[in-house]
Amino acid sequence: MNGTLGSLSEVFWYEQAGLPLLLLLQLLPLFGAAVVFAFKERSTAVLAGKLFALAELLLAIVVVSRLQPTSAALQLAERFAPLAYHVGVDGVSLIFVLVAALLTFLMTLYGMSRGMISPGRLFAVLLLAEAGLVGMLVTLNVAWFAAFSALELWAVVYLLRRWASSHAETQALARFVQYQAFGWGLFAAGCVVLGWGHAEAHAGRWSFDLFDLIGAVPVGKFQTAAFYLLFYGLAVRTPLFPLHGWLPNMAQHGLIAVAPALMVGVKVGIYGMFRFVLPLTPVAVEYWQPYVVGFAGAGVFFTAALAFQQTNLRRLLAFAVVSHTSLLVIGVFSLHEAGIQGAMLLAANFGLAATGMWFIVGFVFRRTGTTELHELSGLFERIPFLAIAFLGFGLAIVGMPGTPGFDAAHLILEAAIDQFGALLTVATALGNVAAAGFLLWAFQRAFLSQAKSGAYDVDRTLPMEYVVCGIALAAMLAIGFFTEPWLHLTESASQAAAARFVR
Amino acid sequence: MKLPLLSLLVFLPLFGAGLLWLLPARAARWLTAASMLATLALGVAALVAYQPAGARFQLLEQASWIASLNVHYRLGVDGLSILFLPATALLFLGSLVACWNVVQTSARLHYSLLLLLQTAMLGIFCALDTVLFFVFWELTLVPLYFLLGRWGVSSSSPQAAARYFLLMLAGGIPLLLAFVLLAASQPVPTFDLTVLLDAQLPRSTQTAVFLLCLLGFGIKVPLVPMHTWLPQFALAAPGSLTALLLGLKLGAFGLIRFAVPLAPAAAQDMHWLLAGLGTVAILYGAVGMLAQTNLRVGLAYASICHVGLAVLGLASFTAQGTQGAVSLLLSFSVATGGAFLLLEFLRQRTGSTDIHALGGAAKTMPLLATGFLICGLAGVGMPGTSSFPGEFLLIIAALHSHTGAGMAALFGLSIAAGGFLALYRKAFFGPVTRPEVSQAQDLRPREWAVLVALIVMIVAIGIYPGPWIEIVRPAAEAWAAGLGR
Repeated sequence: MNGTLGSLSEVFWYEQAGLPLLLLLQLLPLFGAAVVFAFKERSTAVLAGKLFALAELLLAIVVVSRLQPTSAALQLAERFAPLAYHVGVDGVSLIFVLVAALLTFLMTLYGMSRGMISPGRLFAVLLLAEAGLVGMLVTLNVAWFAAFSALELWAVVYLLRRWASSHAETQALARFVQYQAFGWGLFAAGCVVLGWGHAEAHAGRWSFDLFDLIGAVPVGKFQTAAFYLLFYGLAVRTPLFPLHGWLPNMAQHGLIAVAPALMVGVKVGIYGMFRFVLPLTPVAVEYWQPYVVGFAGAGVFFTAALAFQQTNLRRLLAFAVVSHTSLLVIGVFSLHEAGIQGAMLLAANFGLAATGMWFIVGFVFRRTGTTELHELSGLFERIPFLAIAFLGFGLAIVGMPGTPGFDAAHLILEAAIDQFGALLTVATALGNVAAAGFLLWAFQRAFLSQAKSGAYDVDRTLPMEYVVCGIALAAMLAIGFFTEPWLHLTESASQAAAARFVR
Repeated sequence: MKLPLLSLLVFLPLFGAGLLWLLPARAARWLTAASMLATLALGVAALVAYQPAGARFQLLEQASWIASLNVHYRLGVDGLSILFLPATALLFLGSLVACWNVVQTSARLHYSLLLLLQTAMLGIFCALDTVLFFVFWELTLVPLYFLLGRWGVSSSSPQAAARYFLLMLAGGIPLLLAFVLLAASQPVPTFDLTVLLDAQLPRSTQTAVFLLCLLGFGIKVPLVPMHTWLPQFALAAPGSLTALLLGLKLGAFGLIRFAVPLAPAAAQDMHWLLAGLGTVAILYGAVGMLAQTNLRVGLAYASICHVGLAVLGLASFTAQGTQGAVSLLLSFSVATGGAFLLLEFLRQRTGSTDIHALGGAAKTMPLLATGFLICGLAGVGMPGTSSFPGEFLLIIAALHSHTGAGMAALFGLSIAAGGFLALYRKAFFGPVTRPEVSQAQDLRPREWAVLVALIVMIVAIGIYPGPWIEIVRPAAEAWAAGLGR
C-alpha cells in the first residue's frame, strides 16, 4: 500500500501458504455438494454433508491463521486471467467467511423437518449455497460476485419451491423471486456501467476486476448511475428499508430457519457495499451519504414500529432484521474507520444472533406447529435452555456488553458522534432500545407467560438442539468477551476503506 | 505474585454458578450458601487487607483486555467502595435465606442467576475502568430480568421486569456516551478511571459528561421524576430481590464514583441541580410514603427519600458530605435490605404486605415485628442506629452549603419517620382480624440468625461508628480534594 487514494495492493498466495487456500475454500463445498448428491438417499449422505460443512469451517480457520492482519493488502490472492478469476481476502472478508462456514455447519445439524426433500438433497443444496456465499466473499471481480450471488439465490429458490405447498407459501415464493430477480438485475446493470466505464477509458477493453476498475471509476452522472444500481441491487438483497418487502413473507411462509439464515445470516449485501460500492463510486457515495443515512435512520424506527405490530414470531424476527440492517448501513456510510469496522463486526454478530433466533423459532415450530404469538405460552417451563438462548441472541442484537454487539455498537456510536453529531447518535441508540423492546415483548408472550390450560405438551430440549444453540451461544460469548483478536483482524482493512474519504 | 483478591471475590459467585450445574440439583441450595459464605469471607479479607491511610486505590489488578480500544481489565477499591464488598456479600446471604424454601421450580437456574447478579454487583464496586464498569452495570440486568419475570410474586411481574429492563437499558445509553466522550477527550483515548480522575477537561465536555451521567445514574438511583419504575418493581418482586436492589444503591454510588469527580467543575456549577433533585426526592418520597397502604411500596418511597438526602449532601462537594453519603448508603444496605427481607418473611406467612390484610401482626410474630421496627428506625435515622452518623454528617453539610434545602430535608425526614411509624402501627398493632395473621408463625432459626446479624451491625455501628467512618474519611477527603483540580 503506497498510501495514495484509490490504490490497492495484493499479496499472492504462494508468498503466504503452500496451497491456493482460497481456491480450496471455494471448491470444497462444491465438491461436497457433488459427493452428497451422488450418495442420493443413503444415510451416509447426511453424515457426509455434516463432515463437509465441518471441514469447510476448519479450512476457514486455517485461512484466518495465514492472514497477516496488520497489512491492509488483499492477501492469499489468486489470479487466472482467461476466466478473469481473481480472488483475495482481508480481515473483513474472513469474518464473513467464518460466519458463513459456521452457519452452514449449524444448518446441517439443524436439518429440516416436513419431509419435502430428502436429507441428502437438502445437504447438497446447502453446500451449493455455501459455495455461492464463499465465492461472493472472496472474489475481487464484480461479475463473479454477481454470478455467485445468482448461484446462492438459485439454491434458496430451490429450497423454497420444495417447501411451498399452500397458496400463501407459493405467493411468498413468487414475491421472493420477483424481488430478488429485480435486485440482481439492478446489480448486474451496475456492473455493466462499471465495465463500460473501463472500456471507455482503456480503448474498448472491458474489465470487471476491482483492481482495474478502481483506476477507471466512471465520472459524473455515470458514477451516480453505477452507485444507485449497485446500491439498490445490494439493498434488495440485504434487505434495506424500504426494499424489504420479500423478507417478512418469506420468513412467515418459507421454510423456517434455513432460508432466512441463508439470505440474511451472512450479510453479503453489507459486504458488497464495503468491498465494491465504497471504493468504486467514492464521489457518489460522499454526495449521497446524507440521504442514505437519513433513510437508514428512518428505517430503524419505522421497521421497529412495524415489528411491534406483528402477531407472528417469524414475521417479527424479519422486521427485527430489517431494523438492525439499517444500523449497519449507518455504520458503513459513516465513512469513518471506526464506523466501518463496527458495522462489519456488527454484521457478523447480527448474522449469528438472528440465525440463532431463527433456529429456536424452528425448534418451537417443530413442537407446537405454530409461531403465532397468541397461541404460544409458557414455553420457559418446558424448554428453559432454548428460552435463555433466545434471550441471549436477542441481547446480542441489542448490543449488550458481553456479546460482540457491544464493542461493535460502541464503535458505530463513536463514528456517528464524529460524523453526524450527537442527535442522530442518540436516535440510533434509542432505535436499539426499541429493538430490545419488541424482542423482550415477544419473548415474554411466547416463553414467560403462564401456560394456557389445555395447551400442547411440549417436548423437552433435544441433544441436537443443545448442540446447535450451545455452539452459537458459546461463539457469541467468546467473541463478546475476547473481542481483541477480531478487532485486530478487521482494523487495517477498515482503515483502508475509510482512507479513501476525506474527513 | 500477590493473590488477586478482588478478582477472586468478584468471580467466585460466577464459579459457584457454574459448579451448580455439575452437581445434583438437590445440592444447589447448600452450594449457593457455601459460595456466598466464601464470598463473604473474601469480602472481609479484602476489608482487612485495605489500609485506610494508604494509597487512594488499593488491591489493584490490571490485565490487558481489548488492546486496540485501550480497554483494560482493572480492579481496585478505595475507602468509598471497600465497605460495600462485605455489605453486598452479607445482603446476598440474607436474600438467599429469604428465598430458601420458596424456589421450587428450576431451582438451579434461580440460584445461578442470583450468583451471576452477585458477581455483577461486586464488579460494579471494584471496576476501575469505565468500560469494565459498564459491562458489570449492564450485566446486572439479565439476572434481574429473569428473577423478576420468572419468580415474581404478582401476575404483572413479567411486565414489570420488561419495563425495568428497558428503562435501565435506555439509561445505559447516556452512560456509554459519557464514557466515550471522556475517552475521546484524552490525547490517547483511555477508559482508565485513575487517569480520567486527574484529567483536565474543557468546560463544555464536563457539562455534557455530567448531565449524561446524571441522567444515566439518576434512573437507577432513582431521582424524581425518573422513579416511576420503583413502586411497581417493589410490588412485583419478592422482597429477597428488592432487598438487593434497594439495599445496594448502585445509582448513588455511580454519582459519587463517576458523575461528580469526572466532571468536577460542571458538577459544582450545577450544584443547584443536584441539590434540587435531592431535595425534591426527599420531599416527594416522604409525602408519597404517607399515601401508601402496602409496606413494600411504602419502604420503596422511603428509599427514594433517603437516597435524596445522600444526593443533597453530595451537592455540598465537601469531604464531610461525601463521607456522610457513603456511610448512609452503607447503613441502608443493612437497614433497608433487612427491612425488605423481613417483609418477604411476612409475605410468605400472610400472603400480603398490605396493612389492610395485616393488623396485629406483632402479637403472633413478636420477633419479626421487633426486627422490622429496628430496621425501620435505622432507615429513618434514629440516633443509636447505623444511619445516624451518616445522616448527621449529611445534614450538617447540607445546612452549610444549601441552608434552605437542608431545612426542607429535615422537614421531609420527620415526615418520613412519621409515615413509617404510622404504617408500622397499622400493620403490627391493633386487634388481629385475619386468620392468616393469627395462624402465622414467628421467625424460624435461620431467619432469626440473619436478622440478628443485621441488627447487631445496625446497633454496633450506631453506638460505635468511629472505625467505619475512619475507613471512609481519608477517601472522602481525597475525593473532595480532587474536585478542586
